Amino acid sequence: MAPTSNKAAGWLGPLLVSCTLMVCYALLIVPFADYLRNKPFVEKLGHVPKAEFLQLISADQKQLVGEALVLDVLMYFGGLVGKEDAKLQLPPDYQAMSRLLHASVKLDPYNMDAYYFAQSILVWDVKQFKVANNLLEYGMKYRSWDWYLPFFAGFNYAYFLKDYPQAAKYYMRAGEITGNSLFVNLAGRYLNETGQNELAISYLSTMANSAKNQAVKQTLTKRLKALEAVRSIERARDSYRLATGTLPGSLEVLVQSGYLQQVPEDPYRGSFYLEPDGKVKTTSNFVSPGENK
Amino acid sequence: MLDIVRVTLKGIFRDRVFHGILVAALILPLIPAISRLSMRQVTELSITLSLSLISFILLLLAVFLGGTSLWRDMERRYTFSVLSLPITRGSYLLGRFLGVALFLFLAALLLGCVAAAVVLFVSGSFPPERPIVWINIICAILFDALKYILLVAVSVLFSTVSTSFFLPIFGTISVFIAGNASQQVYDYVHSQAGQVLPPFIRSCASGLYYLLPNFSAFDLKVNAIYGVPLNGSGIALTLGYLVIYAGLLLSFAAILFSRREMK
Repeated sequence: MAPTSNKAAGWLGPLLVSCTLMVCYALLIVPFADYLRNKPFVEKLGHVPKAEFLQLISADQKQLVGEALVLDVLMYFGGLVGKEDAKLQLPPDYQAMSRLLHASVKLDPYNMDAYYFAQSILVWDVKQFKVANNLLEYGMKYRSWDWYLPFFAGFNYAYFLKDYPQAAKYYMRAGEITGNSLFVNLAGRYLNETGQNELAISYLSTMANSAKNQAVKQTLTKRLKALEAVRSIERARDSYRLATGTLPGSLEVLVQSGYLQQVPEDPYRGSFYLEPDGKVKTTSNFVSPGENK
Repeated sequence: MLDIVRVTLKGIFRDRVFHGILVAALILPLIPAISRLSMRQVTELSITLSLSLISFILLLLAVFLGGTSLWRDMERRYTFSVLSLPITRGSYLLGRFLGVALFLFLAALLLGCVAAAVVLFVSGSFPPERPIVWINIICAILFDALKYILLVAVSVLFSTVSTSFFLPIFGTISVFIAGNASQQVYDYVHSQAGQVLPPFIRSCASGLYYLLPNFSAFDLKVNAIYGVPLNGSGIALTLGYLVIYAGLLLSFAAILFSRREMK
């Protein structure tokens, strides 16, 4: 055989192998990516070492590892919200999310993303008020300049736990940090049964306005819309009672008598109704169908 | 000795390992994009990422340059020709160490300037809630460099007793991880929760704590990222610790190196 053809045969072999492997890769990559996309969320968030272990091995990169954990939860949650819109419903793994956020603040107790996210999600959806407040308390020890943390804690105490003295304490603290009398007013003005929604609305608009993450913003805005709808019904109900001296029997009565233009829509796809004692309720209970209760 | 420092620096700039590690610095301009993932602390995240990357690059430089500098000389029998010159083995060793240390310092300076530009850029579009404390960031980078200079002293000590590059490189990495964790382990065994451990383990942990270099003291990242005030006397103590500990390591290294048989 001539030396040139010998040389040609020398690179033809590897070329053939590369081409074959490239074809194989193209064939494999679609089902492979498909498999990873559809892998259950639980698996995706599951395997994270204990915070103590992470602390030991992350050397001088604790802040980076802490933030990475938060971003992990955020991506997971963002994916979940996307899925919800596509009508594919999966129960979110709140426990794993909470675990990761706790690990994150152990690594970096100053990380605001973790506290903010815990407050955005854990209280409303999981109703873990005590856990959230403990986390906020822990954060306050470090982020002593940050009014958000006592503001969140005060809100949890007032709105969810109905512990008004504690709530007032935290609102005062937020007021001291900012030098803003708004919080002191909040503590006094809204801490009665009828004012609960006002409190929640002012709180949620604060959170939603400062949210940079789309998934979080979407969740908060949805909740805010629902509460604003409740408030509009409550206002109509109060005017009706003031004028007639009796409670309206149903929302239809309010619409027919002109106090309410129309029955507002529940963003959680339920429908509003009035309880016999006049309380505004919704069939969705502020939870989207398919979400964990 | 100054000649050795100069030769060391020149060698590093020509080193292929150095060029490879420098490529990692190309990630720095990507930081603004990554920082936007944060919800509430975009600027803080950009500082975190910058400092983390600088620290990581300096770690690689310290381990590979510190671990291979002496070993390569001996492997290439370069030491013979150098040691025939009228300098002591001790000053040769010190020259090599100072060369690498000076280089780390310059690398930190350069990376720090790029990082400052990155952070400035991010804070322009996402103003942080608390003003950035630049002096803290400078201190954090400076102490990072000092920490890795101490690590180079560790790798020099390993190089003097080793015949291959395995001990200098992997030994140095192990000391780095252990030296970062030692404070936490020490705090744990002396806490309420640690009292359940057997006394032997607890005294071992305490012994290691005093023996190993304590790198966590050099970590000022939290102060830089969140503007937490620096502790002046703590910084002075850390500097004193660095000088004495590195001096001890280098003097041991000089003793071992002088008694070593060169084949």
